Amino acid sequence: MKKHPFFGVVVATAILSPLMLLGIFSIGKGWPFPKIFPENWSLQNWSDAFTASSGLGQSLGLSLGIGACVAFLATISGFFSARSLAKSSRKNTWLMLAYLPYVLSPVMYAACLQVSFLFLGISGKITGVMLGHFLLAYPFAVILFTGFWNARMEAMAQLAATLGANPVSSYLKVLFPVAKGVLFVCFFQTFLLSWFEYGLTVLIGVGKVPTLTVKVYQYVTEANIHLAALAGCLLVLPPTLMLWINKRYLFTRITL
Amino acid sequence: MLEVKDLHKSFGKEEVLRGVDFTLEKGEVLSVLGQSGSGKTTLLKILAGLETADSGEILLDDQSLKGMAPNLRGIVYLYQEPLLFPHLNVSDNIAFGLRLRKVPSAEVHRKTGEMLEHLGIADQAEKMPHQLSGGQKQRVSFGRALIINPRILLLDEPFGNLDAEIRALMQDLYLRMAATFHITSMFITHDLREALRVGTRMAMMREGKLQVYRSQAAFVQDPATGAADEISFWQNLGNYLPTKTS
Repeated sequence: MKKHPFFGVVVATAILSPLMLLGIFSIGKGWPFPKIFPENWSLQNWSDAFTASSGLGQSLGLSLGIGACVAFLATISGFFSARSLAKSSRKNTWLMLAYLPYVLSPVMYAACLQVSFLFLGISGKITGVMLGHFLLAYPFAVILFTGFWNARMEAMAQLAATLGANPVSSYLKVLFPVAKGVLFVCFFQTFLLSWFEYGLTVLIGVGKVPTLTVKVYQYVTEANIHLAALAGCLLVLPPTLMLWINKRYLFTRITL
Repeated sequence: MLEVKDLHKSFGKEEVLRGVDFTLEKGEVLSVLGQSGSGKTTLLKILAGLETADSGEILLDDQSLKGMAPNLRGIVYLYQEPLLFPHLNVSDNIAFGLRLRKVPSAEVHRKTGEMLEHLGIADQAEKMPHQLSGGQKQRVSFGRALIINPRILLLDEPFGNLDAEIRALMQDLYLRMAATFHITSMFITHDLREALRVGTRMAMMREGKLQVYRSQAAFVQDPATGAADEISFWQNLGNYLPTKTS
């Protein structure tokens, strides 16, 4: 098939230009209309970002921590839950329930959860936000892994058992290595779900859990364009890095 | 010796096994024929510990297998598909059971090499499963099972997915391996010719019961097996073919 480099350039420009604009905004100072570029360039915003007063560094750490914990827990629990689900006689009912948070929309879902969270005393706390994100990411992980746990995979696990593998070695020597690709993809996707979550974070965190996404919206509403751009850059960096690390699993077909 | 006594199994209201009794002597290959859904696979899975029987007893060398986990039974169940582990190459697939048993690495290397020679795939040792043909995959699957010297090998239509030519080659290989490794096995197949070729004894699964025949001759003589009809068909094949006109 003939390649069309022109279209490739157009697509790459469409994807990269907003990111470049964020970068320019984050290092520019003073950008009066109708000038094409800012009047001054400075890395001051970037150096200020990690001082205690801005709190951006803290928000970055908080978002990374929440995202990594949520992704890890959702991936592991989703993997095992999906196996049980595959064997359940009510598989379709459970699977339908797993779509509920997305049908309701995360904000409505958070509103429903808020009462229970208030009762448990975790509303406005990091643990509450983390649990809220987990309750959103976990069904996603279950849905993702239902495709993995098919009859062939169960047969492979059973074969490993008859060859002498106990349940632990069956997971360590066969199932985890075979599922490596889908496990990485799930971790990446659930991390993104948590990383970019705004509505649920604001509602359950009641403004007391300043994740990076919350900070970006805060700067945007304050019309603090340079800090919003800087926070936006920080918001994009970890997923981009993970995308690059995971590209092998995300863009190649898993051959069994 | 394997002894199966009055084995029953139901799935819901459907009774799949209705009192299965048989014995299997060391070194025997019991070919099992039967229609789809007659309970053959369920029987094999119960023997392997992958399903539990509702009632009945299974004794292997006078030891009851009741409640024993599949990994402790020494009974390997092979599916129709070779199910090679996709993350391991041919050599590592074959060595899988030995490594689980923590066999010293030098011995693993030696035994795997010997098995690859037996299977005639020594030149494929480093290949990944997706680089192998159907017949080669099935050879690796055999090797992976035989290398751990199983007490019983259960084969559930192992050559069902292969074309006729490869299937005949695999039957030869199986007979050779069965003789070399003194395999005690149950071999499920739908192919009468294959059953007669590989089995030292024959059995027919019908409506949840297993009828084991004393000899191949007894199996052929039983009209219910359909073997006599099939043999007659091949003997009189000339009658069915159109006659040549000059």
